[in-house]
Amino acid sequence: MPFGQLLIDGLAMGACYGLFGLAVVIIYKTSDVINFAAGEMAMFSTFVAFHVLNIFGYPFWMAFIAALAFAALLGVLVDYFFLRPAKNPTLLGLIVITIGAQMLLAGLASWKWGAEQKQFSIPVSYSVTYEPITGFIISQWALAVFITAIVIVSFMFVFFKYTKMGTAMRATQQNKHAAKIMGIKTDRVFAFAWGFSSVIGATTALLLSAKTILDPGFMMEPFLRAFAAAVLGGLMSIPGVLLGGFIMGLIENFFGYVWPSWKPITAFVVIVLVLCVRPSGLFAKHYVKKV
Amino acid sequence: MRISKKILVTMIVPLLAVFLFASEGLAQKKGFDDKEIRIGSWSPQTGPAAPWGATSRGAKLLFDIVNEQGGIHGRQLRLFIRDDQYNPSQTMAGVRDLVDRQGVLAFVGGVGTAPALAVRRYLAQNKIPLVSVMTGAEHLNFPHNPWLWALWPLYDDDASVMAKFLVEKKKFKKIGMLYQNDDYGLDPLAGVQRRLKTYNMELAIAVPVEPIERDLSSQISRLKAAGVEAVIGYVAPTQAAIALRSSVAIGFRPQWIHSYNLTDFSLMNHITDGLWAKEGVMTTAFTEDILDFKIPKMKEYADAAKRLAPGERWGIFYAAGITAGEPLVQALKQVGRDLSPEALVRELNNINNFQGIGPRVTWTATNHLPPAEFRIWQCGPKGEVIVLQDWTKNDLPKKR
Repeated sequence: MPFGQLLIDGLAMGACYGLFGLAVVIIYKTSDVINFAAGEMAMFSTFVAFHVLNIFGYPFWMAFIAALAFAALLGVLVDYFFLRPAKNPTLLGLIVITIGAQMLLAGLASWKWGAEQKQFSIPVSYSVTYEPITGFIISQWALAVFITAIVIVSFMFVFFKYTKMGTAMRATQQNKHAAKIMGIKTDRVFAFAWGFSSVIGATTALLLSAKTILDPGFMMEPFLRAFAAAVLGGLMSIPGVLLGGFIMGLIENFFGYVWPSWKPITAFVVIVLVLCVRPSGLFAKHYVKKV
Repeated sequence: MRISKKILVTMIVPLLAVFLFASEGLAQKKGFDDKEIRIGSWSPQTGPAAPWGATSRGAKLLFDIVNEQGGIHGRQLRLFIRDDQYNPSQTMAGVRDLVDRQGVLAFVGGVGTAPALAVRRYLAQNKIPLVSVMTGAEHLNFPHNPWLWALWPLYDDDASVMAKFLVEKKKFKKIGMLYQNDDYGLDPLAGVQRRLKTYNMELAIAVPVEPIERDLSSQISRLKAAGVEAVIGYVAPTQAAIALRSSVAIGFRPQWIHSYNLTDFSLMNHITDGLWAKEGVMTTAFTEDILDFKIPKMKEYADAAKRLAPGERWGIFYAAGITAGEPLVQALKQVGRDLSPEALVRELNNINNFQGIGPRVTWTATNHLPPAEFRIWQCGPKGEVIVLQDWTKNDLPKKR
């Protein structure tokens, strides 16, 4: 068994699942809503980068910034136009709205860019590899994933612990009404959370598009895995989600190597088993029903 | 009293509506008149499998060309395309709509094994010919279905020819296979195993892939660990591209050979950042090279596409739609002016050694099987087609 290779590939894909899981968790932490449009929002932003790079012919860094700016705007717009107009919404109602947004974005992307696979390259290549230790081949792409994950997680740690908006988001998550009474503009907090989540999702999708293939359905499967990773880690715990992603990537790669036919379901079976024992996920402290 | 009246009206109105619609549905409409012949087709125009939807639009181009030239015996061809999103339940809805409400003489093309399986009985019951259905899965063709004519070669035959080429011409000793874990991959897996048995060989390794998978690192690591020299791929274009990228990333560079569904070298080269050409990927093929404009028909179709459908890319799936439509057009020409469903069936059964831009086709009343002849292509350094082996028939078909 090529242990080193499976370990590195598993950790790299796991980091992607973990990062994307964070995009799901940020919204869940502030509003209790599971955003089923997260995959398509990230896909759409990646297509914007593709458009700026391949159609307009601008350099990659401009395409990257444009995609992130668009992602932030898209997140805010989804919150503003889809979720906010809902009158007296139930949680289920809001989740169904995100499913509607998902279908709309998928249809729009197919209409605008077509359903065929697209070539999309980022400056870090999967074919440039290093072998620091025999049997541990690491590509530029995997390195970029690890560095991005470290940067984003460090930023989130600082943001939630030391910034005013981070504190406001935590307060809103704990008790929306009390936060309002204390003068926190919760609508702004929600809009910021959607924008922030969309930016993290777009960053992950840009990385994933270089490893897989860009088409309107390319984030469908990673979203499911990321969501599963988030559930595994505990939907309220940011380090837990990242660790859940790593576990997911490693399980998939090692079990996939030994029993390839079972690869797509192995990780989900493990999650079901874990949740039977710890319903709030591996790393969440305990399940708290907010009242 | 007023409330009960309301209830009565509420119940009667929908019942009446259902009755009216049902009565229309029961009387199947004729698929032609003096001015036009109506043909149906289904394919995914939206959703993840949408690239294959170009096939129906390719068939439409062929019909538009025929119509430009005056139609067939004075009748224009009209194609009705239904988007099924590659979802069999939607295929059934679309096909029923065309048969019951629109009225079609026949169906042409029709993408996918599961969608075709969903509608084949319904079409047979309604005596609607399904011509050139686009799947090479075996159990669609067995037992013989008098209302289904197949053009897509059987995957079992395709893989058998592929394995023979790798062993006899390329002298590979260790061959692996990466296959989609459904009929699309399992039929050819059996074909490869049967062929290798004749050389007292076995597959060094066979690794399955699920159609939705986007991370193939572990599968590629497994192929690498088995030390295979060549890999037979029976996967969708997206997985083939990801597999190639993943193998290059870990320094695993076997000779890849894929099914005839991946002959769009321009697309494959594009989405693999040129690796398809760089690694000299091979495929089988059952059509002519769509970029070989020395073939008069190919040039005629490509020129017509520029004129009549300027928004379409001249790709393999688009051309495949034309390939699917050609035998139907030929049969309609053979029928003459006295058109009827029975006459069309008679002439479809008389298609003898017919070749357009696809393979040579012969159908009889008792044999509607697709051709079993293939070529082997390789993607050249500029993405061009290099013919490694000309038309070769599978000499080891499965005993059925």
